[in-house]
Formats: sequence, C-alpha cells, structure tokens
Amino acid sequence: MKVADEITEKLTAAFQPDELRVIDESEAHRGHAGYREGGQSHFKVIIRAPAFAPMSRVARHRAVHAALTPALVGRIHALSLEISA
Amino acid sequence: MTTSAKDTIKETVTNNDVVLFMKGTASMPQCGFSSRVAGVLNYMGVAFKDVNVLADDEIRQGIKDYSDWPTIPQLYVKGEFVGGCDIVTEMTLSGELDKLLADEGIAFDKDAADKIREANG
Repeated sequence: MKVADEITEKLTAAFQPDELRVIDESEAHRGHAGYREGGQSHFKVIIRAPAFAPMSRVARHRAVHAALTPALVGRIHALSLEISA
Repeated sequence: MTTSAKDTIKETVTNNDVVLFMKGTASMPQCGFSSRVAGVLNYMGVAFKDVNVLADDEIRQGIKDYSDWPTIPQLYVKGEFVGGCDIVTEMTLSGELDKLLADEGIAFDKDAADKIREANG
C-alpha cells in the first residue's frame, strides 16, 4: 500500500474526519536530506475532526502520531500537520 | 533512553529558559524545519540555547523519548515542551508564542513578531 493511502486509512479510522488531505510533498524536497527516489518521504496532512476540539496543540499532534503508529511515523522523513476541530 | 542522556536533557531544559533541540546549530541549521524555528527565534530576538542532536546520537533519541515526540526540532520554554515546527509556526502567527514568552518573563522583540505576522497574514 502507498504511504499516503496508509495515512488516510489510519486517520479516517481513528478520527472520522470532516476533512482530510494527505499531500505527498516529496518532490519538493528532491536532493534534500531524507529524499528517497520514488518519493513517499515528505507529507503534509490537513485534518479536521470534532475529536480534536478538547485537545491542546501538542495533544492533537500526539493523537495523530499515535493513530499513525510509530512504525509508520518512523518511515516518513518529514510530516507536517495542520490539525483543526 | 540512558540515564545520562535523560539527565543531560533535564539539566539543559532546566538551566536555560529557552532551548531548541535541532538538527545543526542556530547559525548553521541542517534541516529546513529546524532552520525555520531557529529563524523565528532569532528574528524575534529571543535568547535561546541550541542543542545540535546530530552531534550526539543519545541525545537525538533521548529527546524523542523525553518528550514523547517523534520529530526534531523541539522547543522548550522554562522546562516545558512547547512543540515542533508546525506548532511553533502556528503559535507565532496566532500570537500565542508572544503570550507564552511574556507570561514566562522572557524578553523578545514584539515589533519583530508583528512583522512576521504582517508578512504572513
């Protein structure tokens, strides 16, 4: 499964988001540290879900990291998160 | 995490008001995300201690365990973990970072912070 699909699947299951966009930004980082041929190394995730409403910024990020699992987070070189409720 | 790495981290964030664990140094960052946070702090005139995690594997892993946070950079103010690049950026633009620094009695250039917001508004 592609990394983007895996991210989408895990976050959808965990948060039932109203909005979810998973953007592979790897090409923008070609030649930089962490770039891998074939991409799938740099992602931006925009997610909006009611579940985040009571959480602090740090708690929101931790919840997303946990839902993605350490194994998946470890495979991604850079993950930028834009989280709202 | 080894005891010594944990002790070193705790000592560093306790003895310095503002600490940035980053890839590279404040004057020579080696990652775009670290560079962005160091750049914001520099521009806002915030005195901070930079810790280059690339120089020490134990600290590089240790800081992730210490904060339960999987990525670098990591910003600490008065011993408390504030966040990584996304959170610091959001807090800068929303004014929350100003408030945090003011509440903690840490000097910064308010005009510079306003300029960042104007340029990114």
